[in-house]
Amino acid sequence: MGPELSDAALVARCRAGDDSAWSLLVERFSRYVYAICSQGFRLSRHDAEDVFQDVFTRAYENLHKLRNDDAVRPWLAQLTRRLCIDRLREATREAPVEELEPDGMDEMIESLDEAMSVREGLARIGEPCGDMLDRFFARDQSYRTIGEELDLPAGTIASRISRCLEKLKGAMEDSGALVSPEVG
Amino acid sequence: MATFDIEELGRLIAALPPTPEGWVRAAQELPQVRRELDDLLVRAEADAALRARLIADLESTLADAGIEPTRHVIADVRERLRSA
Repeated sequence: MGPELSDAALVARCRAGDDSAWSLLVERFSRYVYAICSQGFRLSRHDAEDVFQDVFTRAYENLHKLRNDDAVRPWLAQLTRRLCIDRLREATREAPVEELEPDGMDEMIESLDEAMSVREGLARIGEPCGDMLDRFFARDQSYRTIGEELDLPAGTIASRISRCLEKLKGAMEDSGALVSPEVG
Repeated sequence: MATFDIEELGRLIAALPPTPEGWVRAAQELPQVRRELDDLLVRAEADAALRARLIADLESTLADAGIEPTRHVIADVRERLRSA
């Protein structure tokens, strides 16, 4: 099962009891859920891990309640937000619920949704570009580390990353996920 | 449809850093762990000694049954034993 499997198809397979589909669903949305917990709500690592596991446990238990399989991402986002608020509420019982969610959460989720589209693009451009861009930008690896781990001369990494970004941009434009900004 | 330049693409890739080691695997193993736990708890219902062992020493009993006694698994079993 590759990245070409739609969210809806993935959910349908999970619901049918396909463990490998569940594994792929977790892999596909793990960074998204983690980012909401850690960047959005700034939970401690311990709390973020608890919420992360709770989100996927509840998703697993309640997947049959999802009315629109295509909407699994917003459903997970909403579930994560709710569980983050519950976690914060346990720590600060006095604060009103509306004060527990940081300002700008809707915008933050919107930005993470864009980031998820870019990740889909990374999957489409394949290796080694997808891996290289992920290592440099998301894993914050140096040219030297990337070169050593991918067995490439460190001096060529910068130009390779630049070419891979162009390839990613092209793939996203081709898929309709991105419109080129007008020039001039 | 969004419009972003190369720099923005880099920022968006960076917006989703990897999940800490082990978290994803634990979530991926959920269906299998659930089945093993269900089986263990069904057996415990019919086997008073097993149930007593689960209550007395949950971690070891889970490990003996081949289930990794993570914090989340332990919390789940405790909850299920309470509500059983």
